[in-house]
Amino acid sequence: MTLPIPALVGDAWFWRSDAAPVVSIRWGWPGGSRLDPEGREGEAALGAALLTQGAGDLDATAFQEALRDRAISLSFWAERDWFGGALRCLSDALPEAVRLAALALSAPRFDDAPVQQTRARMIAQARREKEQPRILSARAFWDGIAPGNPIARPVQGTAESLAAAVPRVPARPGPALAAAAGAVAPATLAAALDMLLAGTEPPRAAPVLDAPRPFGRAVVPHAAPQSAITFGHSGRGVPPSGRGWDAAQVALRVLGGGGFGARLMERVRERGGLAYGISAGFQTIPGAGLIVGGTATANANVPRVLDLVTAEWRRMAESGPAEAEIADATAAMAGGAVRAFADTGRAVSALLAARRMGRAPEDIAARPARLRSLTVAEVATAARAALDPEALSFAIAGEPVGL
Amino acid sequence: MRLPRRTAIAMPALLALPRPLAAAAAQDRPLFGTELSTLPNGLTVARIPRPDSPVAVHMIWVKAGSIQDPEKRSGTAHFLEHMMFKGTPTLPAGGFSRAIARMGGADNAFTSQDVTAYHQEIAAEDLARAMRMEADRFVHALIPDDEIAPEREVVIEERRQRTDNSPRSRFREALTAALWGDHPRGGPVIGWPDDIRAITRDDLAGFHLARYAPGNAVLVVQGGPEETPELIAEIWGSVPSRAFVARSEPPPPAAATLPRLERRERGIGDPAFIRAWIAPSLTTGDTQHALPLEILTGVFGGGPAGRLHRALIEPGLATAAYARYDSESAGASEFSLLAAPRSDVEPGRLEAAIDALLGELIEHGPTEAEVARAIRQATSGALLSLDSAQGAARVVGSTLATGLSLDMAEFWPKHVAAVTAPQVHVAAQAVLGRGPSLTGWLLPA
Repeated sequence: MTLPIPALVGDAWFWRSDAAPVVSIRWGWPGGSRLDPEGREGEAALGAALLTQGAGDLDATAFQEALRDRAISLSFWAERDWFGGALRCLSDALPEAVRLAALALSAPRFDDAPVQQTRARMIAQARREKEQPRILSARAFWDGIAPGNPIARPVQGTAESLAAAVPRVPARPGPALAAAAGAVAPATLAAALDMLLAGTEPPRAAPVLDAPRPFGRAVVPHAAPQSAITFGHSGRGVPPSGRGWDAAQVALRVLGGGGFGARLMERVRERGGLAYGISAGFQTIPGAGLIVGGTATANANVPRVLDLVTAEWRRMAESGPAEAEIADATAAMAGGAVRAFADTGRAVSALLAARRMGRAPEDIAARPARLRSLTVAEVATAARAALDPEALSFAIAGEPVGL
Repeated sequence: MRLPRRTAIAMPALLALPRPLAAAAAQDRPLFGTELSTLPNGLTVARIPRPDSPVAVHMIWVKAGSIQDPEKRSGTAHFLEHMMFKGTPTLPAGGFSRAIARMGGADNAFTSQDVTAYHQEIAAEDLARAMRMEADRFVHALIPDDEIAPEREVVIEERRQRTDNSPRSRFREALTAALWGDHPRGGPVIGWPDDIRAITRDDLAGFHLARYAPGNAVLVVQGGPEETPELIAEIWGSVPSRAFVARSEPPPPAAATLPRLERRERGIGDPAFIRAWIAPSLTTGDTQHALPLEILTGVFGGGPAGRLHRALIEPGLATAAYARYDSESAGASEFSLLAAPRSDVEPGRLEAAIDALLGELIEHGPTEAEVARAIRQATSGALLSLDSAQGAARVVGSTLATGLSLDMAEFWPKHVAAVTAPQVHVAAQAVLGRGPSLTGWLLPA
């Protein structure tokens, strides 16, 4: 089984597949919600939502109808450190899709009616987030681990901050990155990408992130039978690339991959019957990656789950995975790479993720062999460097008993 | 057996991949190119050739979901789905998913009201191994006693996570129960807490024995190596035929148990409105209304040009509004309208606007232009489903396992395109005008 080496079309990575008459394009740039002005959290997310609510000579209804009539999916969104866009359509609708996407990026209208409606919908969503323990615990985790840092603020904003947010085109401080996949001729794609990503704003310096810091335990009181738990610590012990990166990913998969066989899943769900699911993994944030996990358990079981997570964290840091565990994990990761190209949506996600991490095009095809060549000692060393049970912090939303 | 096998082998060259459609209304080719056959043991086999795909999808659909749960044992079908991962005489508990992961594959399962389905996505060359394991589990699942107690706790945590921890999910659950009464469609797929606690190994083994027979299941294989038809014949063909209990359910109730359900909850940010109707489906009741009701959701919803947006969002009454309906049900179905009032809007004003909107639609029906638009938007992207790792297998499997013909999956754009404005009007009158319904409000305490 061979993996593709994406072609370069302009500055974009492209995987051609004629399996279905469909094209996907995904792009974005560093920025996102961390650039929201203080007190106007959610501004990038509001801007993203409004880009498809009227542009150029098309009002919101005309714009949405143009998308729906041709079954074009076009969306924009903000992440903590990234502003993203994606489109997917039938190959013969690509010119119209690109015309609409380019219009959205270059000439959004921000008419009063869609601004009011979208703001009201997002405020209602923000109020609803306060009903959800999982979101409350994730928020408390970010507040605890990066207090005061723009990266830690709620991406979708709060009811108060959204009321103050100003509709505008989200800032583009760095160059856009793009990936494409599907049934389209490279020349057609090149023209489409030119249109889509032309007219960038001049680069602007991005703020540097502080080092994440441990906070122990934080509890958000919330009336519910089950507590949601978000846990983790800094990811600075994980090298940004190379064999060390891969070795750390293997160790993290053995510890906290969501599947059966991962140690946390085995201990907490399979043997303990304490949760429906539990997982942990690396979250990429330039300058300050994090290792973050989550689970949910009955309020009475919270202390037991915290103990089990900490014990498994320590065991992995001290001894690393067993040889058989490494063999299983690397086989799964190497083999799973093929499935990342089973459709164009997955393919552009994989390609753009690799680009955001600064990988070379050849890396996608070369990685499976590199994973299989990792030694037990390399993975143990990586586990020791990456995992720190003393720094492990827990944010709990619910009514935990016995903490 | 011989004939379907030869036919299956001969077909790919003729059909290959479906070509782009000129227009949905003029659809003359099947969407997926599925080859349908039946093994001598009764298993329905749907093979979706994907000769160039490096990835294969293998799914077994059992035609029994929560609707077939025994009396006072809601959640049995779903609990059994969990226990199917707990080993066979030749595979330890958890061994199934680990083996699939070692192949670089992914596997999972789901239970709905109508079906229980198990699926694996693997490299084409690993199809035979996945198939052997699935056929083994289908027949020889151990459902080991000592795994039941911890797994019951896992299911209860799953229920807490999905339902008990969310006031909105609890409200949905209560509303469904009030609409359907003690009809099985009124109960949650995951089961009521007391029932989950009461389920025994005999209940699980009994469900497995009664329902997991080849004659009561549909196999879907998308992609795979050239010898896939032979593999299916050898591996699934060796599963012994046996008697089974076919799905059945009582007729839907003539009226909801309550006309209205208002629930107050602490910790709720904003209210939620739902009006739900018991509705026919493609299999049950006045089936001719099913596709017109699908189009009706597009008349109501579908963005800013839909009626809900114009009547509720534009005047600032609601922050969101949707119409939902699924024509694909093995029994009766449900049509619902959902809306969230803006925080400064009195709930009664929103409900009055919805009543007016409904009254207008039931009296005059949708315009020709509205129906044409809804059909266009429902069908113009039909071919997008070919660009999905599991999409074709899911659509075909779900259609067949629900009891519908393959034609409904392969030619649904053509069927949907044939719906007319008068048909939508009649369906709206029959279901939204005269059908059993319930109005629900979730309000902050």
